Amino acid sequence: MKRRTLLKGGAGLAGLGSMAGCLASLGFERRSARSPPLVENRPDAVYIPSHIEGMQMVGMGKAGPYRAALTVSFPHRFWLMTGRNREMVELRAEDSVHLMVSLWDAETQVVPPTSDVTLEISQGDETVVQKAPWPMLSQNMGFHFGDNYALPGDGTYSVSVKIGPMQTRRTGSFAGRFDDPASVGFSYEYSRSALNELAFETLDETKGNEGAVEPMRMEMLPLAQLPEPDGLPGRVIGEATSGDGRFVVSVLDEALPGLDGSGQYLAVSARTPYNRYPLPFMSLASTISRDGSTVVEGPLKATLDPDLNYHYGAVADDISSGDTVELEVGAPPQAARHEGYETAFVEMPSMSLDVP
Amino acid sequence: MDRGIPRREFVKAAVAIGGSAALAACLQRESTPELPTGPDDLSELPARQHAWNDVLATDDHGNDVAPKHHVLRLMDYSGAGPPSNADRETMERSLRTLERAYPRSHEGLLFTVSYSPAYFDGFDEPLPDSVDLQEPKALAPFEEPALDRSDAVLHLASDYGSVVLAVEEALFGDAEELNGVSVEAGLDDLFDPVDRRTGFIGDGLPADHQDVDGIPASKPVPDDAPMYMGFKSGFKKNQATEDAVSIQSGPFADGTTQQLSLIRLHLQQWYEQDSRFHRVATMFCPVHADDGLVEGSGDNLGDTSLMTERGCPAHAEDHAREYGVVGHSQKSARARRDDTPIMLRRDFDSTDDGKASLHFLSLQRTISDFVDTREAMNGTDLAESGPVGQRTNNGILQYMTVERRGNYLLPPRALRSLPEAQPDR
Repeated sequence: MKRRTLLKGGAGLAGLGSMAGCLASLGFERRSARSPPLVENRPDAVYIPSHIEGMQMVGMGKAGPYRAALTVSFPHRFWLMTGRNREMVELRAEDSVHLMVSLWDAETQVVPPTSDVTLEISQGDETVVQKAPWPMLSQNMGFHFGDNYALPGDGTYSVSVKIGPMQTRRTGSFAGRFDDPASVGFSYEYSRSALNELAFETLDETKGNEGAVEPMRMEMLPLAQLPEPDGLPGRVIGEATSGDGRFVVSVLDEALPGLDGSGQYLAVSARTPYNRYPLPFMSLASTISRDGSTVVEGPLKATLDPDLNYHYGAVADDISSGDTVELEVGAPPQAARHEGYETAFVEMPSMSLDVP
Repeated sequence: MDRGIPRREFVKAAVAIGGSAALAACLQRESTPELPTGPDDLSELPARQHAWNDVLATDDHGNDVAPKHHVLRLMDYSGAGPPSNADRETMERSLRTLERAYPRSHEGLLFTVSYSPAYFDGFDEPLPDSVDLQEPKALAPFEEPALDRSDAVLHLASDYGSVVLAVEEALFGDAEELNGVSVEAGLDDLFDPVDRRTGFIGDGLPADHQDVDGIPASKPVPDDAPMYMGFKSGFKKNQATEDAVSIQSGPFADGTTQQLSLIRLHLQQWYEQDSRFHRVATMFCPVHADDGLVEGSGDNLGDTSLMTERGCPAHAEDHAREYGVVGHSQKSARARRDDTPIMLRRDFDSTDDGKASLHFLSLQRTISDFVDTREAMNGTDLAESGPVGQRTNNGILQYMTVERRGNYLLPPRALRSLPEAQPDR
């Protein structure tokens, strides 16, 4: 029997007692308990969310050059970005799960944050739902592709994940890789009661404070963390902050292999504070000036490199001690955000660094 | 049997189901006026099968309004080897019956017949160089459409579902009369059916038919929207003219090429997650969202989607960097010739297979024009700079899957019946 039919039957035939049971079986009880109100007076910065949720591994598999993992958690609210417009996505009564796809390069463990991922859930020949999960940032779940999905009930579902060819510029040993589409399938045994076994913890003492919860570490699942500043290649000339994002700037003596042009290379590793997740889908430009006049200016292009990882960069002929590097954010990171990240990385004023 | 179903909803359902029973039920329900028959003298009919605009309704702004109900019949020629003259004549008699039975207008009947590269492969000689017809193929790095290779497509259109159904009964069923005109020949002896696709377009029709996969149960499609995604399309200034899409020389002059895709729509995120700002920015252009240029489904725009007027196509790359988002119309409008559009959209929505779908039917002088437009629409170039993804914030790619595609030559009327690849003309 379909759930909607069940609800209708319950409402039509029975009194309040069975009505309450009916609502519970549809998951309303669970949801009110698992969706605490938003923190009041959220800072315009990364903050401790109202709660954290556990997650469960559905499976891992190979997809072309990638390894992929499918994990599941409670459905929850998140925010989408269009330019500087932020839109909260509310829970729907019918949402059953939050599904997350994690992808990483099998060779280097690097997590490419700008992939094109689509997901289809089916049972037998019937498509249950098809929608492309959003690239998302979550404090404890890291960078992933996720969305809330409605499933008609307990049962076994086939989840097919497709990864499109990468458009982001690639350098070094990544040049020429990730050009082909790839796919991987999972079998997911959905049980609402099993889902309810997942951890759920409210953070009443610390919620709303500036800070972030720790990344959740799962065996075999690499976190999309960028290197510490001292682990970046080249000479790190400084770190700037804008919209609570951290921008670690380094200069490499030579342009990355695979790029046109020669000279030095300016690399900006943009990351979340605390957890060092990449800030993808942003536009960034730099102006290098010397003695008050501009030496070189232009966009920094999103680039995936095995050593620098995901960063924004450009060949910059010569950068000398005493120069000033100004960084300007055009569109802020367009990745979707879980709670605690939605107020940061929106208004992002220009930054300026002096080259030591 | 029809209790409680609004009329237009019922008619759409009847068109989707088809057959004589659906026709009978549809006739009872739809308030079809007493339609006159078509002309006896067919010599006055235009040379172009696709010359529809003069006989379409226009809205308050002068935009052409597509017929409401559509059926596409994909079919294979059943004869062995190249078509015989006898078959050619039978088909022409059959099509002339349609022209005599109904006025050639949106209130009567509009139709075209087109032929695939696979059909023309059956001839010893290739198509002349004046025709650019190509095999269909995937046109984006992320799409994998099945490729249609049926010989021919018959496209039937009318504001009245009962007209379309009656024509099908005359061509493929047992009907001996069509609007009082005797049916001399059908098509069922000449062609084997491959696929039947149906659809509709027009204010209110999508909202009436949103109980399909791909649209959430919250019934989000606006009541007055002409298409599932909630916005108007086919603004006069953004459509190619019929002249612009017509083949200019050679035996197929006054013909055109037709591209037909079956696109599935996934609109849960579109309607339940995305903001109005996002919908306007990704359908039109971020400037349109920022300046609030679009009201409701966009009727206020008049006869133009304000693309070049607002500098959208030329500044797509700047907008990607500045706004982090680019629009579907903005990207597509980058494919132009002499600063005029090169593609004439005649697409419509569908509930085929119980899924929210779009039959994207477009006419253009060459299939290369379609390929160029589709490449512009992919925005792959814009996905390299940073904020715009291959699908996310990149027009409406996130919400659609191209499931099938076919390319066809839509010959001039004089060559519409089983044409040869190198006709004498």
